[in-house]
Amino acid sequence: MSDPGRDDPATPSRNGWVGWLEKRLNLTEIFSFLTHFGLVYAPVDTTRPVREVVRELGNQPVPSYTRGPRVLGLLAAILFALQGITGVLLAYYYRPTPEAAFESTRTIVRDLPAGWFIHQMHHWGAYLLVAIVALRLIRFFWDGLYRAPREVLWWSAVIMAWLVVQLDFTGRLLVWDSRSYWSTVRGLEVVWAVPIVGPVLAFFLGGRVVNEDVLIRFYVLHLLVLPALYLAFLYFTFATLRRVGLSTAGATPAGPTTTFRRHLYSMLILSVLVFAVIVTLAMLLPFRFLGAADPYATPHGIRPPWYMLAPYALLQKSSMPAWLSGAGLLAAGLGLLLLPLWTRREQGWTSPQRMRLWGVIALGIWVALSAAGLLIDRLQVPR
Amino acid sequence: MQEPSERTQSAPPSDDSRRRFLSWLSRSFLGLWALGAAGVVGVYLKAPEKREHVAERLARVGPLGEFPVGEARLVRHGITPFYVVRLDATRLTAVSAVCTHVRCILGFDRERRALVCPCHDGRFDLAGNVLSGPPPRPLPTYEVTVRAGDVFVHLS
Repeated sequence: MSDPGRDDPATPSRNGWVGWLEKRLNLTEIFSFLTHFGLVYAPVDTTRPVREVVRELGNQPVPSYTRGPRVLGLLAAILFALQGITGVLLAYYYRPTPEAAFESTRTIVRDLPAGWFIHQMHHWGAYLLVAIVALRLIRFFWDGLYRAPREVLWWSAVIMAWLVVQLDFTGRLLVWDSRSYWSTVRGLEVVWAVPIVGPVLAFFLGGRVVNEDVLIRFYVLHLLVLPALYLAFLYFTFATLRRVGLSTAGATPAGPTTTFRRHLYSMLILSVLVFAVIVTLAMLLPFRFLGAADPYATPHGIRPPWYMLAPYALLQKSSMPAWLSGAGLLAAGLGLLLLPLWTRREQGWTSPQRMRLWGVIALGIWVALSAAGLLIDRLQVPR
Repeated sequence: MQEPSERTQSAPPSDDSRRRFLSWLSRSFLGLWALGAAGVVGVYLKAPEKREHVAERLARVGPLGEFPVGEARLVRHGITPFYVVRLDATRLTAVSAVCTHVRCILGFDRERRALVCPCHDGRFDLAGNVLSGPPPRPLPTYEVTVRAGDVFVHLS
């Protein structure tokens, strides 16, 4: 983005390299591409020179994304960009085969200058991204932002949350130490119990054994397929936002609160803060490795990833058959996705107040089950 | 398709119905094409299931002298790792080391002479029967032979 602060007179002699480029390609058209991903809110007149457009946009009033509950979406976008950068850097050295995966991760973390730092950033960024995307979904639910005309926004929020969880799940196998390997096995245990999803996944992974086929599949999903889908849904988010407008729920009363230029500065400050939080976490609570994964030795006390603890507890400790809890999980997921369709009525048990109540109850059950899942293995110490 | 009924109403088939029929035809043609493409991609993406080669069905485990009585040894054999246990001076047994529940690798409990799953605490005896816990099926056991002092396991 060019500097919006400088006040150039629009004389051709002082336009420098921007003017030179502008004679040869339409910079404003390239700039207007950013509007598709929500970085620029207003439509851009592509027939005008880019500096003029940027200067004008900088003074345009916009609702600020960096205040109140809206910040969650922006945080998710910043974290996703950060994960992209650190992920690409990690990919330069990573080798996705069972023989080399752990060795190459160890090379990154132990031998390369600053390799540990990039790995830590990626690790903690993933944690925060999952948490923030979940919080964003809870906020959408609480403010009733799934009702007409915001259904598409809700769907893309749910699917993006699901994609982030998938990114986390596929990413943690790639380390290929014994924790990452066996926690994937135990997480997949939950997936196998889900009807339709389990068998289809087993078909594509070639059975229910975590082996080199699964590693390379997770690698391709993690690096290529899931991020591409995430970007597509980021685009959908802003495509529908341009139609239905920003929500005013839970924020300051409707209307612009800041200028675009100031918004960009706030975004910059926010990015620095996110960076600082991740660096602090990486320093204070570094990720620790176990030894290389051994498919012939299951260590004790390995749990599935934290977001899978609730269904895990349901599978472990209830007397229900596995397929029933799996079907319940599938129904809950579909119910969440199709929420806008079965909550059309504003009265009765789907009224906004009631929905909040159901949401709090569901979240309470989920948290309680997660706590149970966390405690199962603590109580089950090897004798 | 409405074609026959419309023909009875007006003797020559109207341009409109012909157009509808042709667009239906081309759409279903494209649909079939998409179905075929989806099939090709699906079949390509399906990972081949790992099976033992014929040559791997007979595993040479080692000389009999290396198996003390009451001890078990985990043999890291492809996708079917197994334990070879020497029960007493004359009897050897081979039992799968993969839990039938979610494929965790079992540990050997020397005192109780049992196989214990570190994931869900499922327990098996050395004949493969489930003693306790969630495993749905008994473990497969394999035939053991000793030829010229070497222990062989026949993976069926």
